[in-house]
Amino acid sequence: MLQGLIKKEDLKKLIASVKKEGTFYGLIRGSEGLSLSELGPDDEVTLDYSNFKMPPKRQFFPFSEVICTYEDESMTDLPLSEEKAVIFGVRPCDALSLLYLDKIFIDEKFTDPYYRSRRDNSLIISLACREPLKTCFCTSVGASPAGKKGADILAFEVKDSLLFEACSEKGTRFMENYPAIFKKPGKADIKARDEEVSAAEKRVQTIDLSGITEKLQGCFDSPLWEEISQRCLGCGVCTYTCPTCHCFGLYDEKVELKGRRIRVQDSCMFPSFTLEASGHNPRTSNEERMRQRIMHKFRYTVENFEDIFCVGCGRCISNCPVNMDIRETLAEVIK
Amino acid sequence: MANPYFPKLVTIEKITIENEARDLKTFRLAFCNRDDKKSFKYECGQFAMLSVPGAGESPIGIASSPLDEQYLEFTVKCYPTGVVTTALHNLEEGARIGVRGPYGNSFPLKELERKNVLIVGGGFAFTTLRSTIRYMLNEKSRARFENITVIYGARSPGELIYKPELKEWEERDEIEMYVTVDRGDEDWKGREGFVPAVLQEIAPSSENAIVLVCGPPIMLKFTMLPLLDLGFSPDRIITSLERRMSCGIGKCGRCNIGTMYVCKDGPVLSYKQIQELSEEIF
Repeated sequence: MLQGLIKKEDLKKLIASVKKEGTFYGLIRGSEGLSLSELGPDDEVTLDYSNFKMPPKRQFFPFSEVICTYEDESMTDLPLSEEKAVIFGVRPCDALSLLYLDKIFIDEKFTDPYYRSRRDNSLIISLACREPLKTCFCTSVGASPAGKKGADILAFEVKDSLLFEACSEKGTRFMENYPAIFKKPGKADIKARDEEVSAAEKRVQTIDLSGITEKLQGCFDSPLWEEISQRCLGCGVCTYTCPTCHCFGLYDEKVELKGRRIRVQDSCMFPSFTLEASGHNPRTSNEERMRQRIMHKFRYTVENFEDIFCVGCGRCISNCPVNMDIRETLAEVIK
Repeated sequence: MANPYFPKLVTIEKITIENEARDLKTFRLAFCNRDDKKSFKYECGQFAMLSVPGAGESPIGIASSPLDEQYLEFTVKCYPTGVVTTALHNLEEGARIGVRGPYGNSFPLKELERKNVLIVGGGFAFTTLRSTIRYMLNEKSRARFENITVIYGARSPGELIYKPELKEWEERDEIEMYVTVDRGDEDWKGREGFVPAVLQEIAPSSENAIVLVCGPPIMLKFTMLPLLDLGFSPDRIITSLERRMSCGIGKCGRCNIGTMYVCKDGPVLSYKQIQELSEEIF
């Protein structure tokens, strides 16, 4: 495994080098809080955060994107993005979520070309967590503050430096491209990293999810869904901010003879999600929609892919306007 | 990388108004590009996304048979609230639209070989069944199937679709037709009664037989019991589901029921598979 040490102040050099071939995305604090943004060499890279509001799925599966345009009776599909991107500062939980999205958007029979081209052209540099939030529960769902899954490079903050560790061939090649920037870490650096990791892991709150899928298999018709969903407003913020939620709709916009077809993220928490033209709706109640969301993440994806589609990032908890907590919901199911 | 969301261009060659209410039309389509026609290989029971620029896309069952090599047909019901179906109905012959597909699984025609085939249809859900009947009656394939019995019903005589074909089939020896309407009018000399009641009355044998049944949810609900009573086991009762869909390729999540996606794991399912789903289907 290739390791390299870079002074935090030298990150700017790395950004400048990367920018010769592509775009460097990192976290900038703006009017809407922290968000992944394109960085220039003069931008101050923020390292001081637990996590950011919108998950990195937005880089690959934007909130909305045009997939074709039409004029009169002819349609043109939009060329795929060829932008080479380095995405720096994603937390390990979110990096893992990308592997789950890959299972949906990239399969043998149908591959989503928009998602695929962005994934292929991106390099993920995760930043290990030092200060998990109270809403974090990554270690209960297969992620961890220093998890490598989904990352090409995992970076650790070690005093005034960052320790980079390549986790994939792509990551190794990237680090080999910049021999002048990375120094060899010393034993003290490795020790400091290990101490940080172990302290962070201990700080993550845990929940017991043993047998959750089996429990869900037996409680489809349980009255608990009605109880759980009573407080829910059905606003869908949990699905929009979830790093693994990927449902979408295709909609047309037209002005006179010119128009475009747009793919927009949608949410299973909305009644219109399943509403058919005939007026028939297979999921009419909030209760059924809540059940669908939980069942999809903790049962159906386990049965289809052997993965719980939750990485414990806690965004659905911290963004919920009525303080619903998925940990409590799951505890109710297990009880 | 092929773009699965990008439709193939087709011309509407012919529009047939199917019913008195004029809200059911059959669109006969021809591919504008010869390669697109060649690559669109479908089977009975599959569907495609019809794409009207400016309105959007709708999943519609394919009503023509794979052996109808010259054209592709879809019968579409226009709903006042349906943006795409309304836009489609407003088009005229010669207009160009898009088609994506074919998608989904198909009726198990291989399994139907050397068996008696019972077809039960209600309303305009008859479309993919019509595709199947056309396929089985084709001289290239008829010998592979035993007796073919069709029970088809609509609300009123004016609501029966594919009328010229129904008449032609009624005159043929290779197929037994039972056409019924919920309520006839003064000119109606045929059968009256709901599909489940007609099914009980005719009582076709379930021996060496498989049934394909498509219709509105209420008809399906009341047809299952008589079929079971006749001795059709749930794995030999085959139906087709409908759900709202955006992508048709198992990604957008709308048609998800349990571990399956109606668009790629369906739409054709046996009653046995439906019973195993947690969600109530009909």
